This record gives sequence, C-alpha cells and structure tokens, in this order.
Amino acid sequence: MKTKFIQILTLSFLVMFQWSMAQQVVTGIVTDADGVPLPGATVVVQGTTNGTSTDFDGNYSITASQGDVLAVSFVGYGAVSVEVGASATINVTLSADNQLNEVVVTALGITREKKSLGYAVQTINGDAIGDVQAFNPVESLSGEVAGLDIQSYNTMGGSANVVIRGYSSISGSNQALFVVDGTPISNSTPNTAEVVGGQGGFDYGNGAMDINPEDIASVSVLKGAAASALYGSRASNGVILITTKKGKVKSSGLGITVSSQLVMGSVDESTLPSYQYEYGQGYGGNADGYYLDPWDGTAVVNTTDDASFGPKLTGQEVHHWYNMIPELTDLYQKTAPDNPGAPAGTVAGFFDTQITSTNSIAFEGANDSGNFRLRYTNANISGILPNASIDRNSFNFSGSQMLRDDLRVSAGITYTNTDATGRYGTGYDGQNVFQGFRQWWGSTIDLNMDKKVYDLTGGNYSWNMFGMDTTGTTPDTTPHYFNNPYWMRDHMYNTDNRNRYFGNLAIDYELNEEIKFLGRVSFDQYDFVKEERIDVGSVDVSRYYVSHQTSSERNYDFIASYNKNINDRVNIDGNIGWNLRVQKWDYLTAETNGGLNIPGLYALSNSANPITSSDISNYDATKKVDGLYGRVSVGIDDTYFVEATYRSDRSSTLPKANNRYNYPSISGSVILSNLFDSSIVDFAKFRANYAEVGADTNPYRVFQSYLLVAGFNGQPQATNPSTFNNESLKAESTKEYEFGLELDLYKNRLGLDISVYDRTTEDLITPLQISNATGGNAFYVNAGSVQNKGVELVLNANPVRLADFNWDITANWSTYSSKVIELGKDASGNEIEYLNFADLQGGISIGAKKGDEYGVIRGTDFVYHENGQKIKTSTGAYENSDSNTEILGSIIPDWTGGIKNKFTYKNLSASFLIDIQKGGDVFSLDARYSSLTGILAESTRLNANGVSIREPVADGGGVLLPGVNADGTPNNVYGEAGDYTTVEGYVYMPAANYVYDASFVKLREVSIGFTFPDRLIDRTFIESANVSLIGRNLWIIHSNVPYSDPEAGLSAGNIQGYQSGAYPNIKEIGLSLKFQF
Amino acid sequence: MKKIKFIFITVVAVTMAACSSDADYEGLNKDPNNPVEASAESLFSAAQKTLVDEVNDIDYRDAPFTLYAQYAQQTTYTDESQYDMKNRGIPGEVFSEVYQNILFDLKDAASLVTDDDFKSAQIELLAVYAWQYLVDNFGDIPYTEALKVVGADQVLAPKYDDDATIYVDLMSRAVAAKTLLAGSGKGFSSADFVLAGDKDAWVKFANSLIVKIGVRATGNTFKSEVEAAASGAVASNADNVTMDYEGSTPNTNPSWLELVQSGRNDYVLGKPIVDALTSTDLEDPRQDVFFDPTSKIDGAYKGGVIGQKSAWSAHSKLGTKLFDPTFRGVLFDFAEISFYLADAAARGWSVGGDAATHYANGIKASFTDWGLTEAAADAYLLKPKVAYATADGTSDEKIGKQLWIAMFNRGFEGWTAYRRYGGAPLTQSELGAGDFKEVPRRLTYPVVEQTRNPSNYTAASTAIGGDEQSTKIFWDN
Repeated sequence: MKTKFIQILTLSFLVMFQWSMAQQVVTGIVTDADGVPLPGATVVVQGTTNGTSTDFDGNYSITASQGDVLAVSFVGYGAVSVEVGASATINVTLSADNQLNEVVVTALGITREKKSLGYAVQTINGDAIGDVQAFNPVESLSGEVAGLDIQSYNTMGGSANVVIRGYSSISGSNQALFVVDGTPISNSTPNTAEVVGGQGGFDYGNGAMDINPEDIASVSVLKGAAASALYGSRASNGVILITTKKGKVKSSGLGITVSSQLVMGSVDESTLPSYQYEYGQGYGGNADGYYLDPWDGTAVVNTTDDASFGPKLTGQEVHHWYNMIPELTDLYQKTAPDNPGAPAGTVAGFFDTQITSTNSIAFEGANDSGNFRLRYTNANISGILPNASIDRNSFNFSGSQMLRDDLRVSAGITYTNTDATGRYGTGYDGQNVFQGFRQWWGSTIDLNMDKKVYDLTGGNYSWNMFGMDTTGTTPDTTPHYFNNPYWMRDHMYNTDNRNRYFGNLAIDYELNEEIKFLGRVSFDQYDFVKEERIDVGSVDVSRYYVSHQTSSERNYDFIASYNKNINDRVNIDGNIGWNLRVQKWDYLTAETNGGLNIPGLYALSNSANPITSSDISNYDATKKVDGLYGRVSVGIDDTYFVEATYRSDRSSTLPKANNRYNYPSISGSVILSNLFDSSIVDFAKFRANYAEVGADTNPYRVFQSYLLVAGFNGQPQATNPSTFNNESLKAESTKEYEFGLELDLYKNRLGLDISVYDRTTEDLITPLQISNATGGNAFYVNAGSVQNKGVELVLNANPVRLADFNWDITANWSTYSSKVIELGKDASGNEIEYLNFADLQGGISIGAKKGDEYGVIRGTDFVYHENGQKIKTSTGAYENSDSNTEILGSIIPDWTGGIKNKFTYKNLSASFLIDIQKGGDVFSLDARYSSLTGILAESTRLNANGVSIREPVADGGGVLLPGVNADGTPNNVYGEAGDYTTVEGYVYMPAANYVYDASFVKLREVSIGFTFPDRLIDRTFIESANVSLIGRNLWIIHSNVPYSDPEAGLSAGNIQGYQSGAYPNIKEIGLSLKFQF
Repeated sequence: MKKIKFIFITVVAVTMAACSSDADYEGLNKDPNNPVEASAESLFSAAQKTLVDEVNDIDYRDAPFTLYAQYAQQTTYTDESQYDMKNRGIPGEVFSEVYQNILFDLKDAASLVTDDDFKSAQIELLAVYAWQYLVDNFGDIPYTEALKVVGADQVLAPKYDDDATIYVDLMSRAVAAKTLLAGSGKGFSSADFVLAGDKDAWVKFANSLIVKIGVRATGNTFKSEVEAAASGAVASNADNVTMDYEGSTPNTNPSWLELVQSGRNDYVLGKPIVDALTSTDLEDPRQDVFFDPTSKIDGAYKGGVIGQKSAWSAHSKLGTKLFDPTFRGVLFDFAEISFYLADAAARGWSVGGDAATHYANGIKASFTDWGLTEAAADAYLLKPKVAYATADGTSDEKIGKQLWIAMFNRGFEGWTAYRRYGGAPLTQSELGAGDFKEVPRRLTYPVVEQTRNPSNYTAASTAIGGDEQSTKIFWDN
C-alpha cells in the first residue's frame, strides 16, 4: 500500500512535471483595482522578448510555460509579476500608480524608478496627444502639464510657443528642447524678424511640428534644471522627452494599425469684429462724404479711404466701387442704394471651412531577438482662407535587433515632407487679410462683389480703389491701400517645401549585469525652400523671394552605465558620458530688386532691376559643443535616495579663453510613507534639489565683421553692423532650487504632486541696447539676471470607480513670478534700468525692467486724479501721460491651469479638457486702429441723450467719457466722435486704452469614444476597433479681449502680448477611427 | 569580441576626431560670408551716399522735413503734418541713421587712412557736414563722447555737449580740413560721388561749409572764418555739390520711393508755398516747375491747409522733377550759399559784395538751376516785394522767405531757413493735440535715449530748457 502510494505520487509528480514543461496559451484580462479593463497593458514573459499587449477589452493571450513569470505593466500603474501555474487563465489586477515601481524616462533616455527621483517629472501617455490631434501636435500638450505654457496663433501650420517655467533668457530662445528617443530635435522657428515683430510675413511653424503624434508612446516633461542638467547648456529651458512606440509581439492579428481622423474647422465668430452698418466707407463724418461722378452727377462712394467714417446711409442712389469697373458690364455706371444693414457678403462669409484629414498606417512585429515598427502618415489641411493648404507625408521606421546575447543594435528614422501653399500673412502687412478686416475696412463692403469681380476679370479691382479721388474724368480703378482680398490670396502667396530627417543609430553592449555601454549617433536635418510672391498690380511693389535653408545637427554620444546592489540595503547607479554636438546652418536667400517685369512670373531672372548685394544674403555657420559628464545615484533601503551630476562643456561660440564651463547638480528624496504607517496615506515622498546649468550662445557674437551693401555708381560699399560683438563673452548660468512633495491618498484615489522652485539666470548673453550716439545700436555683453519663482500642482482624482463606470480627474495648476534682478551696468557704471525687446507699432515697447517682471508692455498711460478717476482735457478727450514709457501690463500670466475629466462607461468613454489662464496682458493694434476707422458697432451707439455719438456735439451727439476734470469734478464735456479725430480714437487715447487682460477659460478638447466589443468583431479579422467624436477649441468660455482670441499674437518667440491682424479662433470638430488587424 | 573591438575603435576614433583644439573651435566662430576688414573707400562711399540720401529724403517716417517746411501736406493720414513726431518715432530715425550709418563709418574710414591728407580731409568735411545737421535738428547732442562703441575708450552712454560749443569745434575742424586739402594724397575719386575727387571742388566744399556754419550761428563769432572763406565757396550752379541718382532701386532718389514707388498719394502741395508763389506780390515763375501745372484745380494751384486732411483730387501736386528717380541729391548749391553771404553782408561782414547782390545771386541761381532763364529772374527781382531793398520785413525775413522758396527740394534746409530767419509764411497746424500744432523748432530726442542713456538725457533736457518740440536751437531767433 505504501509502495503503491509512493508510485502514484511519483507518477503524479511526473505527470505534473511533464505537463508543466509544456507550452500553453495563457489568456486573461488585465483590469484596474475596480475591474475596469486596461487596454494596451504590456504582458511579457520575463527573461524573454516574448510579449504582447492587451486589447481594447483588456484581454491578452500569450504562449508561456508553467513556471514562467509574466510581467504585466501599464503606464500609470504599478507593474505586477505573476507566475504561470496550472490554470490557463490568469487575470491580473493592476493598482493605479502607487509610484512604488513606476518607471519614468529621464535625461539621456535613462529609465529610473520615479520614486528615486529628486526632481519633478510629469509624464503623459501618448494617447493624450494622439486622441485629439492638432495639425501642430505640440498644441495637443496645451493645458496638460503644470508649468508648461503652449500658445498658438490660429494660423494654418503656424508656430506654437513652448515655454517651461517661464521666460528667463532675454535675447536667447526660451523654447523647450524636444528629444525623441535620445535625438534632440530642433524646435526653432524659421520666422523672420518681421514676423516676430509684427511687421508682416508668413509663420512657417516650429520644428517640433515634425514629430508625429502617432509615434508617441509617452512624453516626459523635465521641468527643472536638475532634471535636465545632463543635457547641458541647451536644456536650460527644460526638456520635452518623447519615447516612441516600438514593435511588439502579437499573439494574434497581423500587427497592423490603421487610424484616420477627419476634422472640420470653422471660424469662431465671437473672435471676429462686430461691425457697424449705418455709415458708409470713407472719412468725412456726417457731411456729404460722397464724390460726384463724371457720368451723371450722382454721388460716388469715397473708395479711396480705407475706413468707415463716411456718410450716414439713407438709401440714396450712389455709384459703389463695383459700378466703376468697365468689365462688369451689367453694373458699370449703374447705381444702387447705399442701404444700411449688413452686406450680402460679410467678413465671416469670406472664410472657408478648414478641413484636416490625417490617415496613418503602422505595421509592427517582433520576435525573440528583435522588433520593428513602420508607420506612414498623410496629414492634409486646407485652411480658412482661399488657396491655403498644407500636405504632410511622414514615414517612421524603428527597429532593434540583438546581435548577440549582450549586444543590441537599434535604429530609428523619421522622414517628413511638408508641402505648403498660401500660409496666412501675419501682422501689419498687406498680405494679411485681417489688417483690412480688423483695422482698415469699409464695414458695408459686400465681399461677394469682390469675389464676383475677381472671378470675372482675374484683376485686382479693390473696394479700396482710388476711384474719383484722382484728377481726371473717369474713375481710377487702381487699388489704393488694399488689394482685392480674393486677388491677394492668388497673387500674393507663399509656397514652401521642407524635407526633414531625424533619427539615430545606437549600439548597446552589456559587459555584465552591472556595466553597460551605449554608443549612439543621432541626426536631425532639414532642407527648407521658402518662396514668397507679390504679383504685378498689387498695392505693394511686386516681388519674388526665395530662401534655401539647410540646417543640421548631429550628436555623438558614448555612455557607460553602472548599476549594482551593494547589499540588501544599498544600491548604486551611475553613468559617465561624453557628447559631441555639431550644428550647421547654410542659408541662401535672394529676392528681386524693384519689382517684377512680367506679371505672374515668379523668378529671380524676372527682377525689374539688377539684383544687388542688398538683395542676397548668405549665412553659413557651424557650432560645436563637446561635453563630458557623470552621474551617481545612491539608494538606501528603497527609502533614501541621493543623486549628483557634473558636466563640463566646451562651446565654439564662446571666446577661446572662456569656452569651457562646468556645472553640478544634486538632488535627493525620502519616501516618507516608508517611515510610518497610515491608513490614509499610501505613498508620500519629499524631494529637493539644487542645480546649475551653463549655456552658450549663437555663432558669430564674438568677432566683428562688416556688412557689404549694394554698390552705387559701380563702387562697392561696406558699413558697420548695428550690433557689436564682444571678445570677452562668457557662458550664461542658471541656478535653481526645487522642493517637492508627492502624495497618494485613500487607496490611490487621490494623488497630489507639488513643486516649488526658485530659478535665477545670470550673466545672460544680451545685446545690450546702447545710445545710438555710440555708433551702434547694441553691444553683446554678459548682463542681466532674471529670477523666476513658481509653484506647480498636479492633482489626480478618481471620484467614482465602479465596475462599469469610472471617472478620472487630472488637474494641473501653476503660477510663477518673474523678476528682473538686474540688467547689468553701462560703461559709466550706472545700473541699466530697462532692456527693450522690441518697439512695436502703436507706440508700444515690450522689454525687461529692472525690479519688475520680465516682459512688461510700455507706452502712454491715462493720467489719473487722486480719486482714481481718469482725467480728461477741455475737449472731452482723456489726458495722456507725458512719458510713453509707463508700464501698462505684463505678458506673464498670474496663473495657468487645466482640468481634464474622463468618464468611462463600459465601452464608451468621454473626456474634456478645460484650459485656463488668469492674467497676463495683451496690446491690440487692431483695437487701436479700429478705434479711429469707425468700423465697429460701438462707434455708432447712442449716447445718454439718445443721439448717435457720431452726430456733432452741437446736435446732442458726441461721447461723454467717464472721468473727471483736473479738479476732480465729474466730466461734463461731450467730445466729438464723428470722424477719425474722435475722442475715442487713438489720436487722443493713450496706448493704455488698448491693453487688455488676456485671461481666458477655454474648452480645449473634447473626445467621446466608443470601443467595439469583442462580440461584434471577433469573427472578423479586426482585432480591435475604436471610433471617437473629437473637438478642439470649441468654446471660449471666458475672455476679456473684444472680438479676438486672447491667445492670438504674432508667433513663437520672446515678443508676446501683442496682436496685429490677429487670426480668429478655429472651432474644430471631427471623427477619429482606429482599427487594429 | 571583434564587434566589441570595432565599437570601441569607432568610439575612440570619433572622440579623437571631435577633440579639436580651442583654436579650431574659435575658427568656427568667424563668419566666412562677411569681411573682417573693409577698405576706407567702401566705408567712405557708403557714408557719403547715406548722407546725401538723408538730407534729400522726404519720407514721412524717416525725414518729414518737406512737411515741416510746409512745401507739402499729407492727404489722408496727417500725423506728421500735425507734427506728431514722438509717436511716430521720427527723431530716432534721424539720430540713429546719422550716428550709425554716416558718422561711425566715417570715423572708421578715417582710422584706415594713414598717409593721404586729401582723403582725411574729405572724410572730415563730410563728418562736419553731418554733425552740423545733427545739431541743427536736436540742439545739444552727444559729441565728445560719441562714436565710442568699440575700443579702449569705450563709452556706451555718452554725455551731451552744448550746441553752440559744438559749433565752435565744427568750425575749427572745417578750417583745419581746408588746410589739410593743401597737403598730399590722391583722395577718394571713384568713391566720391559728389565731386569725383576734384580737389578744387573740395576746397569750395570746405569754404561753403565754413560759410554755412559761420552764418547759421548768430552774432559775430565766426566773422573772420566766413570772411576768409566767402570768395572760395560755391560760386555758380556749376559748382553745386550734387549727386546723380541711378534709375533703379536701391539707388534712386529717396523721394521717388515715397512719391512713386509706394503707390500712395500721400502728399499734395502745402497751402503756404502755393499761396506765396501765386500771390500777386510774387507771381513767382518757379511755381510751374515746383508744382505740377496739370494738377491745377479750376485753373489755379491749390495747396492743402496745413494739418487738415486734403483729398488728392482736390489739391495740386508737387512738380514732376521730384517724381524722377534720378533727380539729383544736393549737399550745397549756389542759391543757398548766396543767401548765407547776403546774411553775412547784412551783418557787415566783408564777403565780397553787399547783401542785395548776394540776395539777387541766390534768386538767380535758384531760377537757372530749375531751368528758368536769368532774364526771368531779373524780371522777378524787379518786383517790389522781391527786391531786397523793398521786400517786406527785416533783412533776416527777406532772406528767410527767399531762401525758403529756393530750398523747395530740400525740406530740411527750408524748415531750417524758417527757424533761423523767419520770413516764410508758415502756419500752425489746423488740427492736432496740444503743442504739436506749432511748427517744431527742433526734433525731440529719440525716446530710446530715455532708457539707454537716461542720466545724460535728463541732463541735456534740463540744459536746453526741456526736451520739447518748441525748444529753440541756440541760433534760432
């Protein structure tokens, strides 16, 4: 009996053993703690490359042997390991991020356990960007990250301003660095000084636009100096670190993902002017306001003036501008009544629906030793203006292969071609339709007639023709200040084509468990051709401009890593690295001189006059920076962590004697929750750090050279440049302290992350503006120090967590104050009080003032009585300050925040993101000019007497401005408001009148998604299917800027807080489909 | 292991290649597309052309002096005709153009000329001309500490010097430069667009400059210098210091850019010049060249009321010569010098002739220079309101009025003639805010001086009696 029992037992063991050795298919569902399925979770057989990910219902299927360990992980959740037992079904429950084991990507692509970090890193899942895609993917980060300010300007394919923790450099870039899988990606904006300063031109976007949202697996935002110190000088503005998707093992299906989005955008009419339709075109107030025509002596509209202070419209028969065009035979010399009321073709009706379509296909696969992913995307946008479109084709390949057990080769490349036609003109320029629509316009102009005339004749017949305001017997149909807007879009347009390549090739070698090496070459290059045209017949001198730009960056990296558990309690982890960065720029730009000879032929050879050296510019530069760095991190008891880094850089842009600069950082953290027990607190960490980062500058700021200008009379000419260089420049430095606290409470249903920082930049390399009497305009010096202090808050909450229904809230809030500590001293030893970034049209300057905020807006102010009221003059207008250097506002907001709510009910999910900015100011040149052109509805309102303010004061009209006399008694003098010298116009109003609070609350993103249940698709070859209704910028819930989007401005850069010819908000709504096969 | 060796060798090789020397790095930072050195010729010629452009420009943003002299009135947008210079940034345009693009390049050119006295004198005379233009615009200006952006004696915030004191120094520099012309050297010739390296002509330039400085200053400060120079100054229209522009951009007369290329009808004639020339007192024959005869309104010239919107179709236009891109630019002409000498003679200085003779010479020179006959000038001079003996007002006013008329194509000199002598029938602006209505007596300092050079700006404002448009230059009466 006993023997038999042993035999049976032995046999059973044998059977079990044999069975356990057998490969089997393990299936299961991965859910969160509340049973909600987690799609996209990774399931890997530990120690192998065998892995898969869960489908949209959280299901996975993988081949494994009994005794294998399945590692299950998901971004935002703690990883779990489960040993495969007898059962073929293993359901796994992941706890929402308890931070204990969350791994994040940090500087140089080093993955670290988040708990060990002594600095703030905010991580976003790629879906947050991919689900509701903007044509400029950078915009999708808006409102998602505390301390990350993204601003865009509503132009098709235009730039986005990306600033982390505020502006700190005065003359240099404040744009964050983008790094994709270890490759630094240029995020420069190839815009001219004219675009940046509001004088016109096209916004060519920013470099990070070429990153495809379809490729993004996750984004880590390294905000502080300590987080980015290892990147060296160029990361002093923070880093946006992007990890791309990699090929994964598929247990079923073909490994193909197809996604498609179609989005329709329409102009938000709340961001267009509200016009008056009671008074006609021209200046001249209430009086006659008409010319007499040469044909029959009837009235002719004053088409020569680009304003709406013309005669009161009564229905009188008049010749309109379109009655003076001989080709319009049915209307020529006819009259029509000057009826008040909105015209048939309104400004709002000028705009087309913006259509954006994005189609992507990705193939992926993997086996034991390697993986690959190949993706193609076509994105196409046609804008709100005629003749405006961009077509973008992008390929991405990434793959890696184990060559040996200890050697892996990986490579990635992204190629993007962007082909654009008819980008929107910006700023105060004849190529921007909004210069007319918002500033100089005849509000009763029927744009349908502009279109009709253009369609019929193809000629530039404008509502603003000279008309009868020229001597002669027939009207002059030459356009005066403004072209026909339809003609303009076809005859004054740009095209551009950009080929962009970026990627890297890397070799990882694992010497042993503890020591690893990485060698990597990464590259980013673009070839960019820009062409701009103005045809013969325009108000402006005709022109063809072409620019060929090649810009490249290569990085060579060598990194050695060490990681060892010294004993049970102590872990040491560190790197030593070397980096060489080589950047090259090669620009060649040329334009015609004095116009074009043959209309419509856009070629340099068609130049009216010979092209001179003033029409050509050539910029060639190479910059090299090499750096050596080290990092060591020690962890004790998984509770105390300390890390130190040191980097030494040498830059070719600095003088030989000062070209090396070194900087350290130290950071530490304590897991407080390991030190006490609490039923409320699941996790608590305190962190602190201090870091310094050095920064160099752009090429050619050390040695002086001359400028060659166009010769005269056969004689070559040279002149000194207006900015003088300095042979004793040294590196800039940034010093930053940061403290933070991370908390997970109530079983991970409430999470809180607070950061407090204090950053000071010193020795800023600044083109110090000097008295022009010195012979120069600026001189490069190390001058200036800016301090930014701020608080950032990230809150995660999970108020409802039921089996079928889940509600997540992610909120972020940040504030900072920026103070200009000093701006250096002039040669006489006096402290410099103010440094100007730009003198802008409208009597405004934006700059840094010592002791005040970075980015103050200055100009003339009102004069206030001690009782707080504005003082007015004897004519009823406001008194203006003598000085035009009064501080009127600041471009820095008081605080910004975002709240994202996400609801999931079974297969249905809905999320919406609200983006908020409080404070910050914007000067509107649109408001300033429209105040004296009489286009706005408010310019015809009734005063307290019930009379139109346009009527003469003598007749009971005019405006009684709120305010007081010099003695403090209330204003009782009505001012005239019937002409462009209206007391409400800029002739009398100080610049302060046109500075607005730029606060806003916006419904930034909405997404309602449906994932097809398995039962609907499991008999098809479709693995998963998802459909979403998406929306962007649907509603400006609150704004204080009249008729405009408070975020509209010029373009990315340091000159913010200024609008001129601003583009309206575009409300986008669309459909997104995603299938996996 | 071979692969590992390969990797290491590659890494080491790349590292070695990258470890360039500091000198190599520095070499990368030198701009290959722009010259480190420039010749004195190229700097001199650029500065000279910029100077001629500056004093002949009529652009309302850069140099609106033709509006200040009331030769023209703006049609629709009348800010400059209403003398709003602060909001439009006009002073800054003039200030920076002259200091940066004329005077600094001349100083640089001078430092490159070592053993050619003629070249040094040419540079110096242009510089003195430009300095006087600055003083005549602003009054006190940075002078002794100016133009020191680079060098061991760098001054980034220069102090301002007294305008009358600067005049004394300018006079001594002009006299010294005249002496230097007698020295050695070939001078600039092809780089000299106004006088083509003609040394005799440069002597006349020097004498004319001495006369202009000496006579513009009131009193007898420069009596002896002017007396010594009078006979050697520009003595006929053939001696005029002018530059012929080219027919194509960017080398056209700057007036053409504003009047023609802009495509805007910004300027009509100003009422004061039209009324003066067409008055029965004068019936000045120059009206048909200064004005466009095809633009008469109902058979008569009509100028725009100063400061008021003046519709293009309802007013007469500037003469067609000003619309010619090749129209000459002028630094000195015989008419101008004659009126200065008339003033000198009226002050009792010995300048070879009495005031009436020089006055008549000025009118004749103006007539013939504009293509009218000397006979027409003689007839004109017979009119009682023209003849020096019988014309209205003081000697200054007589000279002022005729100098103002003669300077029709030179807005800055016309405006200055009014400020210096009076006599011209200018009016205040009909519209405009506050003290802008009065014809400005000077340009205010550039707004940027308030922030870039604050303590010196404040001191200068106090010294001149306030940085206002109404503050007078030391020679203003």
